[in-house]
Amino acid sequence: MPLAPVDETVAIGDLVRDPYPIYRRMRAETPVVRVPSVKRTFLTKAAHTKMVKDDPVLFSSNDPTTPMEPAFRAHTLMRKDGEEHRRERMAMQKAFTPKVIKTNWAQLYRDITDRYLDRLPRGETVDLYSEVCAPVSARILTHILGLDGASDAEMMRWSQQLIDGAGNFGWDPKLFEITDKANDEMDVHIAACAERLRAEPDDSALSLMVNAADPIPWSQIVANIKIAIGGGINEPRDAMATIVYGLLTNPDQLAEVRRQEAWGAAFEEGIRWVAPIQASSRLVMEDTQIGGVDIPKGDIVMSIQASSNRDEDLFEDGEDYRVFRDKNPHQAFGTGPHHCAGAHIARRTVGEIMMPELFERFPNMSLPDPEAIVWHGFGFRGPLSMPVTLN
Amino acid sequence: MVKVTYVAADGTRTEVDAAVGSNVMQTALDNDVDGIVGECGGAMMCATCHCYVDEGWTEATGTRRDGEDDMLDCAADEVKPVSRLSCQIKLTEELDGLVVHLPEEQV
Ligand code: HEM
Ligand code: HEM
Ligand code: FES
Repeated sequence: MPLAPVDETVAIGDLVRDPYPIYRRMRAETPVVRVPSVKRTFLTKAAHTKMVKDDPVLFSSNDPTTPMEPAFRAHTLMRKDGEEHRRERMAMQKAFTPKVIKTNWAQLYRDITDRYLDRLPRGETVDLYSEVCAPVSARILTHILGLDGASDAEMMRWSQQLIDGAGNFGWDPKLFEITDKANDEMDVHIAACAERLRAEPDDSALSLMVNAADPIPWSQIVANIKIAIGGGINEPRDAMATIVYGLLTNPDQLAEVRRQEAWGAAFEEGIRWVAPIQASSRLVMEDTQIGGVDIPKGDIVMSIQASSNRDEDLFEDGEDYRVFRDKNPHQAFGTGPHHCAGAHIARRTVGEIMMPELFERFPNMSLPDPEAIVWHGFGFRGPLSMPVTLN
Repeated sequence: MVKVTYVAADGTRTEVDAAVGSNVMQTALDNDVDGIVGECGGAMMCATCHCYVDEGWTEATGTRRDGEDDMLDCAADEVKPVSRLSCQIKLTEELDGLVVHLPEEQV
């Protein structure tokens, strides 16, 4: 079979600005395609991205050439396979269950959301993104992880720095100096929190890990917490801002969501429409084929869930935000062994708490200038601000 | 082919033909049966394929697999002694006629 075709026309900048028309064209013309500017083979069809992520033996997450390791100063579970991955993952998974949220945290999260909403001035235009989406996500995550004492600003900065470092494919040493400093700060704070949680255990992820009967190594406990800091703030933030945009620009749908209290469906559709994590890479372990082309061992394929989520084979009007779909089998949380560890948390906090609280508090909220909103990102994507008028 | 019946939380029964060697989660997805999400594709990482095995079938479906207990703790709905992750129930000739009940919530 032939190798995948090469697309020389696509530049990183185009993908960062608006990848969706590009993905649509690829799905139609070259669903499996090599993109030299990114040095990856793009997979743009839902069946292919799912197949790749569901087969960790052939398509490994263990790619040692990504900047993730220097950025986190650790080989993290996101880049491991098999038993080692499962053990590290299960060490914290129980802190992320619907039951723990419902019984222990739901009221606290409502109170946190209320507290941030209380601060907002009425009758003015405020940026929900920076005033609510980001800090509320940060505050909630601080509790889930057991990092009490870290400020919203610290959590958001650490998260962004880890992400910038993990995405440092230009291997710019300055970015790693920044992550080194952030890692120093996190290491100190995580150690202090662990000390406290050993004396007074609670249901947080850190407490669960340090007080386990057979704990995973300290280095991996720290790495897990950092992955959750890196993965647990920006995605809920971007999801929330995207959903607000989707609902405010489709008032008829908003009215229906309110009537049916279909906040969960509004959430699912938001992350389908603009997946907060758009793509993930896998290393090809053996020569194989995908969609009628040869994929050689050693190639790196990029599973582009952003594209799968709009695949015409699965979705009608996939380019539009449409809450009331018959089925919504999106891949925004990934699939396979690396399926998002925080999916239940994100669904419960954003879908069941933050969205309804926000729209109940500000029933006449409006988006004065939808055209002015800038969307940004290739690996991660969302709006850069969400200025709404509250009245 | 074997028959599998899914009983939704509201009592609706759906009977489908399933391939031996497939599993109860995948069979539901292949046949558009609502009430099973199966978001991790059977990697035992999401607990969105939770089901209750009908009392008459618990012996045939056997005991939970390694690690299944831990992941069941992450299920959205109540976990009972008959609870299983449906992606971990592999279909064999012996399971012809299997009945599973679906919880109200998967996410
Ligand atoms: C709307 C919100 C979120 C979205 C869309 C999202 C999406 C994802 C995706 C696509 C992956 C898989 C990456 C891959 O395949 O390599 C992932 C992994 C992960 N996510 Fe999330 N995430 C969200 C929220 C969260 C939250 C709140 C947490 C923390 C509590 C979290 C923690 C994790 C962790 C630890 C992993 C790594 C799992 C592993 O490698 O086994 N996520 N997430
Ligand atoms: C020449 C510039 C760049 C190239 C060629 C590039 C390429 C890539 C590729 C191929 C991936 C997927 C690899 C993987 O998941 O392991 C990726 C992921 C990512 N990129 Fe970029 N990128 C560039 C610039 C940036 C910049 C400037 C940022 C952030 C400000 C960024 C943030 C990220 C993040 C956060 C990920 C996800 C990391 C992960 O999943 O491990 N990238 N990038
Ligand atoms: S499909 Fe995810 S645990 Fe069964």
